Amino acid sequence: MMTKQEILSKLGISEINKGVTTGSEWFDTEGSTTASYSPIDGELIAEVKNGTLDDYEMIVKKAQEAFKVWRMTPAPVRAEVVRQIGLALREYKEPLGALVTLEMGKIYQEGLGEVQEMIDICDFAVGQARTMNGMNLQSERAKHRLTEQYQPLGIVGIVTSFNFPVAVWAWNSALAITAGDVVIWKPSSKTPLTALATMNIIRDVLKKHDVPEGVFNMIVAKSSVMGDNFLKDKRINLVSLTGSTAVGKRAGQLVGKRLGKTILELGGNNAVIVTPNADMQLAVSSTVFGTVGTAGQRCTSTRRIIIHEDVYNEFVEKFVHAYESVKTKIGNPLDEKTLVGPLIDHFSVDLFKNAVEQVEEEGGKVLFGGQVLDGPGFESGNYVVPAIAEAENHYKIVQEETFAPIVYLIKYKGGVENAIEINNDVPQGLSSAIFTRDLLEAETFLSGMGSDCGIANVNAGTSGAEIGGAFGGEKDTGGGRESGSDAWKAYMRRQTSTINYSHDLPLAQGIEFKF
Amino acid sequence: MEINKDITIEELIEKYPFSVQYLSKKGIRCIVCGEPVWGTLEEACEEKDFTPEQIEEVLVELNELSKQNKNKTNDDKTRNIIETRNLGDQ
Repeated sequence: MMTKQEILSKLGISEINKGVTTGSEWFDTEGSTTASYSPIDGELIAEVKNGTLDDYEMIVKKAQEAFKVWRMTPAPVRAEVVRQIGLALREYKEPLGALVTLEMGKIYQEGLGEVQEMIDICDFAVGQARTMNGMNLQSERAKHRLTEQYQPLGIVGIVTSFNFPVAVWAWNSALAITAGDVVIWKPSSKTPLTALATMNIIRDVLKKHDVPEGVFNMIVAKSSVMGDNFLKDKRINLVSLTGSTAVGKRAGQLVGKRLGKTILELGGNNAVIVTPNADMQLAVSSTVFGTVGTAGQRCTSTRRIIIHEDVYNEFVEKFVHAYESVKTKIGNPLDEKTLVGPLIDHFSVDLFKNAVEQVEEEGGKVLFGGQVLDGPGFESGNYVVPAIAEAENHYKIVQEETFAPIVYLIKYKGGVENAIEINNDVPQGLSSAIFTRDLLEAETFLSGMGSDCGIANVNAGTSGAEIGGAFGGEKDTGGGRESGSDAWKAYMRRQTSTINYSHDLPLAQGIEFKF
Repeated sequence: MEINKDITIEELIEKYPFSVQYLSKKGIRCIVCGEPVWGTLEEACEEKDFTPEQIEEVLVELNELSKQNKNKTNDDKTRNIIETRNLGDQ
């Protein structure tokens, strides 16, 4: 494993770094600095100079100018830049993955996985560059052609969260750039260094391919500099925001007020249903990754397990047993034996503790974990023992998303439709899963009367989505879709054209208009 | 007053970390999904239907807590949070 210094050095991170770039050029700013502390040991990693309102204005103007050039660059040529970015990311996969771990706290395997997601979406976008297709439709008028095409949209604002500090940028920007848009990235102020490192990695690619300054922009800034003003800014054609429902609702209102476009990827309250027909070992193994992976800090982390009463005891016994094993593998996420790293900060630890207390206050029972670890190796105070609690779905704490490793066990009786009702009875609608070998149960879960979530899996957990599918959810999750499938359409504007190749002027619907 | 109603939640958390627990006890979540919510303290209070008088009370209490915390070092953060909780309980 590389040392901290080696990781930073390979990625071009200094003690104090510039926080504003238009692609290849970096700008010194007069703003305050953001200090990035590692959740692993609480130590300072490095600092970043924040952008100011003047910097923001400069970036938007650069982006507007760059868009004029970029929108007329052929999509496969734009995608060649994305392909080269994918190659550069392959070259830097290990140090960038390690920095993700160092700055965010997810285990090294997940850090590498995050960079792999970036690479995968680059590959995906390259293929998609030649298939961002419209369609020809049958016209009702003689010698007329009716056609539909997709055009570049403009400036895409990308707001990312600490838990996937670079992958979400890649999901959005690989598609947006291929679609002919330009991007302005506001990374999480908790993980600015991974953003800087990513921009450093792509800098040479942009230079080599003469990509105009202003196509790939990034600003590390406080919400007082890039907050409501960013959302209200009419020059930002699309705001893609990954974060909490609270921030998403604010974004939805402010962007909606100016009739701008949004992609909102917000909170989840994801459940796994375990029916009497489940492969129990598969259900346990898969669900443990869903609950404790990334220390429960994924949008798709499993928050609730809805278990049939007939297999409840069997499942719980196996599940608790698995947690006993996991408990011995909590520690420094850079150590390859570790399965659960730290939470992002003390605030998250407090929220975890509050959730453990509250579920008991509401009548639940904690079956495992819930403690904050101390002693050698845990000095940062950010390490917790993942908790399992028996609860009922209507508890206030169960209805909320706690961004930490606490999972609620909920018993159901009768048919699978009862479990589905519990699955759907939360404000959020991101991810869901069912474990069953019964075709009727599985198909019911996937039917119109089934899960109301954006993601519904069978015999696979709630987290760990591939980039090939559209990612996102319903209700309080925001309704946006990112990444694969036809998510690219959100980054383009749709245009319908009628072409008359006759010498007559027939009007639609047969309307007569003679003068 | 040092802390006023126009302070952003992000700045409040950064400069006055004890505010998170205090406001949590008042039903206001400053951090969701690990990130600060956007907007000002006043907006966060209004979202929970606080009256102008209640907002004023929050400001007075937060500033009182700030005074208590001023001379303490970062190492005392944990103790501060416990004290904050107690005040928030009242």
